[in-house]
Amino acid sequence: MAQPGLEKRTKTKVEDSSSLKGTLASVFLLGFFLIITWVGVFLLFLNRF
Amino acid sequence: MNAFTEKVNKIDRRDAKLGMAHFYVAFIGLFLGGMAGLLQTLVRSGQFTLPAGIGYYQLLTLHGVVLALVMTTFFIMGFQFMAVSRTAGTLTNKQRKTAWVGFWLMTIGTVMAAVMILLSEASVLYTFYAPLQAHALFYVGLTLVIVGSWTGGGAIIMAYVGWRKKHPGQPSPLLTFMALVNTLMWIVATIGVASTVLFQLLPWSLGLVERVDVAISRTLFWYFGHPLVYFWLLPAYMAWYVIVPKIIGGKIFSDSLARLSFILFLLFSIPVGLHHQLVEPGIDPAWKFLQVILTFMVIVPSLMTAFSLFATFETFGRSQGATGLFGWLKKLPWGDARFLIPFIGMLSFIPGGAGGIINASNQMNQVVHNTIWVTGHFHLTVATAVILTFFGISYWLIPHLTGRILTKAMNKLAILQGILWAIGMTFMSGAMHAAGLLGAPRRSAFSEYGGAAQAAEWIPYQIAQAVGGSILFIAIILVIYIFINLAFFAPKGEEEFPVGEAANTAEKAPMILENWKLWLGIVVLLIAFAYTIPFIDLIENAPIGSKGYKLW
Ligand code: HEM
Ligand SMILES: [Cu+2]
Repeated sequence: MAQPGLEKRTKTKVEDSSSLKGTLASVFLLGFFLIITWVGVFLLFLNRF
Repeated sequence: MNAFTEKVNKIDRRDAKLGMAHFYVAFIGLFLGGMAGLLQTLVRSGQFTLPAGIGYYQLLTLHGVVLALVMTTFFIMGFQFMAVSRTAGTLTNKQRKTAWVGFWLMTIGTVMAAVMILLSEASVLYTFYAPLQAHALFYVGLTLVIVGSWTGGGAIIMAYVGWRKKHPGQPSPLLTFMALVNTLMWIVATIGVASTVLFQLLPWSLGLVERVDVAISRTLFWYFGHPLVYFWLLPAYMAWYVIVPKIIGGKIFSDSLARLSFILFLLFSIPVGLHHQLVEPGIDPAWKFLQVILTFMVIVPSLMTAFSLFATFETFGRSQGATGLFGWLKKLPWGDARFLIPFIGMLSFIPGGAGGIINASNQMNQVVHNTIWVTGHFHLTVATAVILTFFGISYWLIPHLTGRILTKAMNKLAILQGILWAIGMTFMSGAMHAAGLLGAPRRSAFSEYGGAAQAAEWIPYQIAQAVGGSILFIAIILVIYIFINLAFFAPKGEEEFPVGEAANTAEKAPMILENWKLWLGIVVLLIAFAYTIPFIDLIENAPIGSKGYKLW
């Protein structure tokens, strides 16, 4: 049985737990990594061929 | 999960035996192939020469065949049987018998091919390109491996069909669905390599015909060779999509998304083999470019996978109270080898995938073609992302099958193994990428190339590869040690076979995803579209062909 008062313990307000903003940031970082490496080798290609 | 369901979810002992048989062969192969890999890096450092008349290319053939063709295929077949048995129910006697026939065919074939390599009759590298010509028994052995894998694949198809019959109108269990997709892809893909071996290489090595059409045989090989890499990757994705979420205590982000991405891999991983032949003569550049576009389609399900995994991790972390942009990272179970090892694999797939996009970028392929960059690339993809995931799977699957447990001490050792692998591969693969951009060739024993200044630049990187190779070999010894412990010595107990649940269990996967007439129909159309005219060109303009060469 729940003790009176226990359920009143306040929790600090947390942000929306269904947020996927970290996922959004991660896929952007991944995308930038793909682009940077690709452009790096593309520049080598332009220099050499 | 309570004790009762735990019991129910245990794989049947007879199926477990089948799984273990595959894993014994896979891990023996890992040890032999790893040893060869170490020796290769030592030779290439210039500080070491092979004793007892062993040839560098003999060793390299052993390494490629045993690791890329044998170890992977055995592990994958074993894992897929276990995944099906766990999620669609114990195999029937007929299915299990079929699977055993497949296992023995593959094993006999492997022994034949390995003996021919060891006798120095088949130093043709794992791609066995004509006009290099191996002993006929090498080709017979490879044929048996393929036929055996078809037989095993048949058992998986039978199990799937059996489940669907018993559960009309229901989507199949996710792991079974995924194993089936990989099996179907494998069967369609191996038709290419089986054709070149049976109709070209075998008659030619037996002396029934004198000459072989090199371009056609290479094209048939790569029709198989690219889906081969997805055959390796999809079982790792099975673990990433379905098993890792359960291990961390989270949920599968979306069941339907996972199925859709597998279907997209089935469609787009076959009609793309020409991207391995971008610098080859005899094929119209327009058709190469078409296949380059189809290749880039594979980026779609790959990014879907990345998104879905990030989302699984973030959702789990937030459910544990994580805040901020990346706070969820801290909530992941870093001390659990079953999570950490596949996670390192996922991370390595980021540079692996980036390299793959570069390789496939049509003209840009010239920068890296046949350089050691390519070797660096696939040691990130197959030899890190895939194989670390396989190790991560083994660390719970082997004890699950042998009725033992992964102890705390073994878990620690497994984590050390994963970290050593990451360090070793950073050295080896990093140095391979760098040297490749400086023009260092792959498939090349140590040479100073007549004192050329450019070749001298490569040597420090070759030494770095040997350092990495040595660290990797220590990691392999640890894996073997852990495997033996889990198979024979670990304490008795029950280790869980983790299978994740979807976040939204109300969402039923659309049945169209199980419409194989539709998907296989599209597969055939795409293949016909991408390959018919290139093959007609190759046949119409065929040269007289080449005699066989044994250059070792
Ligand atoms: C101990 C770990 C490993 C080391 C030190 C190692 C080392 C090497 C080296 C140095 C080469 C290139 C040699 C050359 O091109 O001259 C090579 C090639 C290759 N490796 Fe590994 N490797 C390891 C693990 C693996 C694993 C686990 C796989 C597959 C699952 C693998 C698959 C291959 C393949 C397919 C080739 C290409 C063979 C060829 O070009 O014919 N390696 N490896
Ligand atoms: Cu490819």
